[in-house]
Amino acid sequence: MNAKDRLRLASTRSTLPPSPPPPQSPAEGGCGVIGLSAAEPVAGKHLLEALVQMRNRGNGKGGGIAAAGLDPAFFGVDKETLQTHTLLAIGYLDKSVRERVEKEHIHPHYQIAHIHEIETLPMGTIEDLEVEPPFTVCYFVRAKVDALELWADKAGVTGMEGRTLEDEFVYRTSYHLNLEMYGGEKAQAFVLSHGRDLLVAKMVGYGGDVIRHYKLENLKARVWIGHHRYPTKGRVWHPGGAHPFIGLNEALVHNGDFANYHAVREYLAQKDIHPLFHTDTEVSALVFDLHHRLYGYGLEAVIESLAPTTEGDFAQLPPEKQDWYAALQRSHIHGSPDGPWFFLIAHSNPDIGEYKLVCITDTSMLRPQVFAIADGECPIAFASSELQGIDAALRSLSSEDHRFCSRPDHVWNARGGSHTDGGAFILTSRSGNLPALEVTNKFGDTVTASKPANLGIEAHPHAAAIPTNRSDALATLIQRTNERIPMSEPRSHALATTDRFIALWANEIKESPCDLYSWVGAPTERSEIKPPSKRTPQDPLGGGSHTLAQSEQTLVIDARNFPQEGIQSVAREIVHHAQAGWHRFVIVHNRGHRFIGNGLGPHSQEIHIDIFGAVGDYLASGLDGATIVVHGSAQDQLAQIMKSGKLVVHGDVGQAFGYGIKGGDVFVLGNAAGRPLINGVGKPRVVINGTCLDYLAESFMAGDALNGGGYAILNALQVQDDGSIVELPQPYPGGNLFSLASGGAVYIRDPAHTLGQWQLNGGDFTPFRDVDWDLIRPQLETNAELFNIPVERLLEWNNSTHLPSEIYRKVIPSKSQPLDPEAAWLARSD
Amino acid sequence: MTLISLKALKHRGNLNKGLRWWPEGNYGDHPALGDARWTPDLIMAGWEMAGTGKPPVAVINHQTGASEGGFDRLTFKEGTQKKKGIIDLSLRLNRREPRLDQMRIGLPWYGGGMSYGSVSDQVMAARALAAKSHKTLTCTGEGGYPPSMIPYADHVITQVATGLFGVSEETIQRAPILEFKYAQGAKPGLGGHLLGDKSTSEVAKMRESVPWVSLFSPFPFHSVYSVEDHRKHIDWLRTVNPDALISVKVSTPSDVDMVAVGSYYAGAHIVHLDGSYGGTGAAPEIAKKNIAMPIELAIPKVHKHLKKEGIRDEITLIASGGIRSAMDIAKSIALGADGVVLGTLDLIALGCTRCSNCERGRGCTFGLTTTDPELSLLVREEWGAERISNLYKALATQLENLLRSHGLSSISELRGRIDLLRYQGGSL
Repeated sequence: MNAKDRLRLASTRSTLPPSPPPPQSPAEGGCGVIGLSAAEPVAGKHLLEALVQMRNRGNGKGGGIAAAGLDPAFFGVDKETLQTHTLLAIGYLDKSVRERVEKEHIHPHYQIAHIHEIETLPMGTIEDLEVEPPFTVCYFVRAKVDALELWADKAGVTGMEGRTLEDEFVYRTSYHLNLEMYGGEKAQAFVLSHGRDLLVAKMVGYGGDVIRHYKLENLKARVWIGHHRYPTKGRVWHPGGAHPFIGLNEALVHNGDFANYHAVREYLAQKDIHPLFHTDTEVSALVFDLHHRLYGYGLEAVIESLAPTTEGDFAQLPPEKQDWYAALQRSHIHGSPDGPWFFLIAHSNPDIGEYKLVCITDTSMLRPQVFAIADGECPIAFASSELQGIDAALRSLSSEDHRFCSRPDHVWNARGGSHTDGGAFILTSRSGNLPALEVTNKFGDTVTASKPANLGIEAHPHAAAIPTNRSDALATLIQRTNERIPMSEPRSHALATTDRFIALWANEIKESPCDLYSWVGAPTERSEIKPPSKRTPQDPLGGGSHTLAQSEQTLVIDARNFPQEGIQSVAREIVHHAQAGWHRFVIVHNRGHRFIGNGLGPHSQEIHIDIFGAVGDYLASGLDGATIVVHGSAQDQLAQIMKSGKLVVHGDVGQAFGYGIKGGDVFVLGNAAGRPLINGVGKPRVVINGTCLDYLAESFMAGDALNGGGYAILNALQVQDDGSIVELPQPYPGGNLFSLASGGAVYIRDPAHTLGQWQLNGGDFTPFRDVDWDLIRPQLETNAELFNIPVERLLEWNNSTHLPSEIYRKVIPSKSQPLDPEAAWLARSD
Repeated sequence: MTLISLKALKHRGNLNKGLRWWPEGNYGDHPALGDARWTPDLIMAGWEMAGTGKPPVAVINHQTGASEGGFDRLTFKEGTQKKKGIIDLSLRLNRREPRLDQMRIGLPWYGGGMSYGSVSDQVMAARALAAKSHKTLTCTGEGGYPPSMIPYADHVITQVATGLFGVSEETIQRAPILEFKYAQGAKPGLGGHLLGDKSTSEVAKMRESVPWVSLFSPFPFHSVYSVEDHRKHIDWLRTVNPDALISVKVSTPSDVDMVAVGSYYAGAHIVHLDGSYGGTGAAPEIAKKNIAMPIELAIPKVHKHLKKEGIRDEITLIASGGIRSAMDIAKSIALGADGVVLGTLDLIALGCTRCSNCERGRGCTFGLTTTDPELSLLVREEWGAERISNLYKALATQLENLLRSHGLSSISELRGRIDLLRYQGGSL
């Protein structure tokens, strides 16, 4: 359809009656979200596992799912019907109105090919379900030719391209239905979804319970999104207020809230679009639908209009892109949601066999988000609020289908509105076309899980005969490690040995390599700790199985036996045992367990904790003496107010890392996401071997780095899967480095002088001197021991060795300005 | 005795005389004292109570100001009864978690957070000592936990505010109550400020920051951007100290009722609403007068909403922000709060004149909101504690008299008794 027709179609919406005025403030709260897109349809039960894992992000007052690229057999239709017909899913809260709805809103407009009533569990099966979920009926329909023509004629839009016209007809028909049957206080029935090959189910409850209640465990789909809602307003929550919200061929879930709900509503009203369910999420779905379907904008433009590129990032864009981005921003900035948000959008386009999961982050990146790709025979990609949700889905998938790997190959965070990847990703699943799964960023660049190169280690001396028995094999592995592959040998050989070992072993004992990786990653299945219920205040260890521990003994705790938070959590368990005298801990099978290492208090210098699995938020927050080693990536709010001690992370760290940090030594192998080290004071010494996304060390106040104050080192490197070390294209992609800072220093490995003044918002470059090198060298040496990133390698650039002052740049706070006349006067009198 | 301490002694003596003489004497108008909200009478009534420990007699209007709105337009109806026996003024802070102590404080108020840096060490210790003697509490504010307060740890709330200054596991584990400060009613959305001049070497040491540099607490917690983050935030403190109660201090936006319910579901024991009249001179005038909702409107809004949600009796509702007199306390409770938090009134007892120069130069000329080593000698800990303690006694006596006259035997019976209030003047 051409642009003129599109505008003409859009303009005819003025005939729609407006919806009732919104309440004073829209109902909204926090949430947990997950979405996946797979090369082949996957069953709902795997999403269920993910949602169960993230249950603590909701409060049971709203949950929902959407699925696209569906299995026709589930509905009892053939593939063609599924793909050509609108799947009109209507939720009846009052079953008695069904006849009326069909008579007034379906039969006059639609030819029905098939009706499918979604089966449910009997009420009462799922605990704590306060409100009966809507009885959901799926109608597979096409617009009646005469009805469509009559409408087009009346609206003055005849002669337009068929499908776009029919889609708009569906949209308006549903609008009338919702207005009449759900608007005001009626709440009798509403349209759950009305796209093609796209289904939405939602209710007042947890997201996972939606799958259970509607028995969607075995429904297969290419794209899934799921949502737990945590609303705070109103005692009675209604299913229409749960996510996902729909446009037409898309469904959207959202974590966050907008400050400008009323402005966006006004923006939509000017285009004669009226939301009905009074939540900010609904308006964002409507804006997406308006831009993508009605205006026909490509996804890059839609993403730009929702999460505009601003400030320094905008200046980094190519000029021609700046032109049309600026035009988009001028036209649609009022439709751009302002505030913390993270959208997952399931989009269906059966005409070309493409099903997309579109993930968009707000410009300030204020909500938790993590993206992941698990490559393999059947690739799958995810976006989620927390990594353990993704892990749970992958565990579930791989346990029944060996083509899926039990852990992701590539995990990353992103910054909304950035000039590098836009902070938005499109996970496309294709039926019939190759590649069956493709992940691209906002600008269309493909994101891949970096694959280990051909290691060529056949003849390597460390890859000798491998025992087939698991424990013998592990013993061999440990022995090899103990022999210590010399530090001088490239890191790649150490990794190659492990890979080779696992490959051979897997072949011998006929197990999947990824299972073995998981097994090696979590060193034991044993649980040595009794469940907390057996403990009493008199017998804190439950049955007295442990006497006061010998300090050299190690306590292995299986986190799966404990809740993720609360007084019986694994974090509290560690505190109990530390108080009883244990010093060494290994925590295995973490599934997002939060607050580990919290509560140990001061005087904990002798405590050492090793952690395996998906580490939860707030790890090592308040750490004051102890050592914590994370064998993998960690999540958000790490090392908040950390005071002393040591934290080592063999992977990435999430958002708001080291907020209010006061001291201690931190070593991170990978990247930090947004807002690291904000409000740092005292004397923290932090080495980040990768980079971070934005707002590094805002309001940093950590004294003078050269006189006992704090600092951060950004090495801007990436250790690849084959062990080689490469420079990142940009040492620091964001802006606002050191904004409002008054103390401390940031050392950035930037031999090419890529970092520009525009990225410093309150910081200044200052010469890197010998004293600086004396200061950071010991930290870099420890870093080398931990991660095998030799100091010599850090001084290498363009294949030659340089002086430290040619490699590192130092940023210190700009001299702070006197803030009022008195202060200025005082400064003079001093 | 050093010259400095001799000078301090002399000034202290004169200031103390002034605090005694001003309320009693007839010196005409006071051009530099107070404003319409805190009238000269209210300030001098505070001085008098702090001197005598009894309800004011020298000051005529010691209950309302001249703002022509809010509390100043509300009065209690005439009570005709004469209830005998003991009047219970105690306030239970934990209403939802049987595992923990009920934590009953002796008075229906406690001290609000004023940081080391915004006020002097001596003032903080004096407040803590007074809190201890009345079995109530005071709060660290956001500037660390000065060692002088450690002896009173059972009566000191550790505040966790957005700058996280001075917050460590040690100070979290020491406290009976942990207070999250999300916003201040006097300047919601503006975070916290301590201008460079007041950030002396000692203050900076406590906060581990750079001396003589202005300090900012960001407006939001960078780790909290929605309600499930808020719940996680509370879970965090409960992991570090499972035995402490959690208080959530918020300002009063138009959807404050939703905020209160969200805090309840996130696990808070106390919701503390900070209205727009509070704040010392450091808060910008434009913010104090224009942003948050007046506390008189916020209290009933939240009280009613919590009742509607069926959770009113599981959470303690505390109000603050410009509580100036015994009747302000009683009015807040009659409007639906369980108790209040006092800040400025404590400082009035120590001689504050509301000159609003708290943030200028080295701070207060009366030695209150200063950390200047010489100026802060104007307040001695014991003297300050006695003055605040006297003030509390006088406030308690007035509340007891009010309750007796309305036939009530405890302060909790007053909660939500809007029927006892009369709105005076103005059109509704």
